[in-house]
Amino acid sequence: MSLGAKLKIGPAMIVAATAAVGVAGMLLAGAAQADKLIRYDANSKNFWLHPPGDWYMGGETEELKGTDFAKTLPPPTGFTRAEVEARLKNIKLPPGFKIEIYASGVRSAREMALGDKGTLFAGSFTGGIVSAVVDEGGKKVVKTILKGLRMPTGLAFRDGALYVADIDKIYKYANAEDNLDHMPAPTVVYDDMPPYTTHGWKYLAFDKNGWLYVAFGPPCNICLPPTSTAQVRHINPANGLAELVAIGIRNSVGGDVDPRTDQYWFSENGRDWLGSDIPSDKLNHIARMGEDFGFPYCHGGDIPDPDLAMGHKCSEFTPPVFKLGAHMAPLGMKFYTGDQFPADYKDSIIIAEHGSWNRHQYQGGRLVRITVDPDGKNAKQEVFASGWIGPNNKYLGRPSDVLVAKDGSLLVADDYNSAIYRISYSK
Amino acid sequence: MTPVRPLLFAFGLVALLLCCGGASAADVAAGKATAEGCAGCHGADGISQMPLVPSLAGEPDYFIQWQLVFFRGGSRKNEVMGPIAEALSDEEIRNLGAYYASLPPPKPQPAPTSDALAQAGAELAAKHRCQVCHGNDYSGSGPTARLAGQREDVLLKALRDFKSGARVGSGVSSMADVVYGLSDDDMRALAHYMATRP
Repeated sequence: MSLGAKLKIGPAMIVAATAAVGVAGMLLAGAAQADKLIRYDANSKNFWLHPPGDWYMGGETEELKGTDFAKTLPPPTGFTRAEVEARLKNIKLPPGFKIEIYASGVRSAREMALGDKGTLFAGSFTGGIVSAVVDEGGKKVVKTILKGLRMPTGLAFRDGALYVADIDKIYKYANAEDNLDHMPAPTVVYDDMPPYTTHGWKYLAFDKNGWLYVAFGPPCNICLPPTSTAQVRHINPANGLAELVAIGIRNSVGGDVDPRTDQYWFSENGRDWLGSDIPSDKLNHIARMGEDFGFPYCHGGDIPDPDLAMGHKCSEFTPPVFKLGAHMAPLGMKFYTGDQFPADYKDSIIIAEHGSWNRHQYQGGRLVRITVDPDGKNAKQEVFASGWIGPNNKYLGRPSDVLVAKDGSLLVADDYNSAIYRISYSK
Repeated sequence: MTPVRPLLFAFGLVALLLCCGGASAADVAAGKATAEGCAGCHGADGISQMPLVPSLAGEPDYFIQWQLVFFRGGSRKNEVMGPIAEALSDEEIRNLGAYYASLPPPKPQPAPTSDALAQAGAELAAKHRCQVCHGNDYSGSGPTARLAGQREDVLLKALRDFKSGARVGSGVSSMADVVYGLSDDDMRALAHYMATRP
C-alpha cells in the first residue's frame, strides 16, 4: 500500500520485491509486515545515492521470503581463535592436504596481498580497516595499519607499494612494508570512479605490465545501471589512464590474470530474487576487448531478465566459461601458480565461494577448483575444500579470498571468522 | 509512506543474535570493571549527565559492540572515543556490550502534559516506521540503538550526523536513507519524542 508513493513503479520496469521483512519481522513482534513483499525502483540516481539500508531486499519473492543478507553477518567482534580452531575440524580436503590457522583476529578479512618481505595484507568488508600480518619470532602478529576507510575490500601489492581500493578511489601507499606502524599518506592513483557504495566495494588484480583490472558493480540488485558501472576496467596506476575492457557485468569481487596468457578471468555474482536455483553465478573470461557479459538483460548465461531483458536474447552475450551454480557467491579467485600442490593443480583456478544469503538452504561456503584450457574450453570443476556450512544450515566460516603463498601453500581469507587459513600439501 | 526497512542495514552492520550462535560468552563483571573508565563521561550506571554524551545503560549488546568496532576502526570518527576504542580488545568489547545491556535504561526526560513537539515527533516516527528496526517501544534490538529515554541532544546530533554523512557506520547506514528527507525541524521533533519515551 505504501509502495506507490515512494517507488513510482513504472509499468515496464520494476523491481519487484519480495517478501517480507525477514529479520525485522522475526525479531520485532508486532511489526506486522510479514505478508508484504519489498519492492524498490532501483532505476534512479536517488536510489543509488541514498540507498535504503535494505536495498538488497528489493525484489523479494514469496519463494525466498525470509532470507536476508543481515542474517549471514558475523557478530561485531567475530570469533575467538579457539572457536575458529574448533570450526576448522569440520573442513574436508582431498588426501594429503591439511588446513590450519595462519592468523586469527584479522578483522572481516577480504582480499589479501603479499608484500615482497613477507607481510600479508588483508582488506575488510566492515569496519573500514586494512590489516597486516607479520611474523615476529615465529609468531603471527596482526596489526591494523589503515583506519577510517569506508569499504576497503580490494588490495594489491607491487614494487614495494600497497594499493587499496575504497569505493571511489584507488590509493597507493609507497614503501608500505617498512612503515606498517606509521603508514605514509597515500597518493590517489585513480579516482574516475562512481560514488555508489552499493556494490561499490572492489577487488584488484595486477597484470604483468602493472595495470590493474578492476570491476565496477551496479548500485542495485537489478537495474539499468549507470554507465559508469557494471563493467571491468583496465587501469594504469602510474598515470591514471584506463580502458574499458568489458561490460554487462554484475557484482564481481574476484579475478586474476591467467599466467599462461595474461588475460583476465573473473567471478561474477548473479542477481538475487529469481529463485533458489537460478540464476547461476559465473566464471568469466575476457578473451577480447569490449565483450558484453549480459547484465542486466541476461543472467547466468541462459536466463533473460523477466523485466529488463526488453527483447534481448542470451545468445547476444559472451557466455560464462563455467556455471558455478546459484547463490554460491564466488568472491576471490586465483590461478594456482605454486609448486607445492600436485602437478595437475598448476594453472587451475581456485575460487572462494562465500556462500548464500538469498536462499533458505545455504550453499557455497567452500573452495572449488576449475581446470580449464587457456581459451576457456574444457572447464571442469571439483570441490577443493568444504565444510564451512555446518549442519543446521549455520555458517562455520565464509571464504572470501585465496592467495598462493611463496612456498606454494594456499592462504584463505574468511571474513566471517576474521581469520586467515593456510592449506598445505605433502605426500 | 516509507517501505518497510528490515533490520539492518547495509552491509555490514548487522549481526543478529538469532543468526549467529557461537560467539564467546561475555563476562558482565569484567565489563563492569572496564566500564569504570567510561563513567566519567557516560555516568555512573551508564546514565549520562553530560551534554552530547549518550547514556549507554540498556542499549542492546550488539549496538554497543558495533559502535566500539566502528570507533576502533575509524569508520565512526570521534576524537575522544577513537583512541579509547583503539585500546580495547575484542574480548573487552564483548564484555562491555554485555555489561551495558544488563543495566536498567535511563528514565525518560520529563515532558509537559501538552507537548506539541512530541506529538509531531510521534507522527514522524510512525510515518518513517522507526519501530520496524528500533522496536515497538524504541528499546532497540541487535545492532540498532535504544532510542527511548536517550538524551535529546544526543539523538538530535545523531540524526544530523546521519544526514550530513558524518556518521556512516560501515559503508552505508540504513539511517542515511531514513534521514535523507527530514528537515531540521523534523529531526528536532523526533529527538524530543524519543527522549521522552519511557
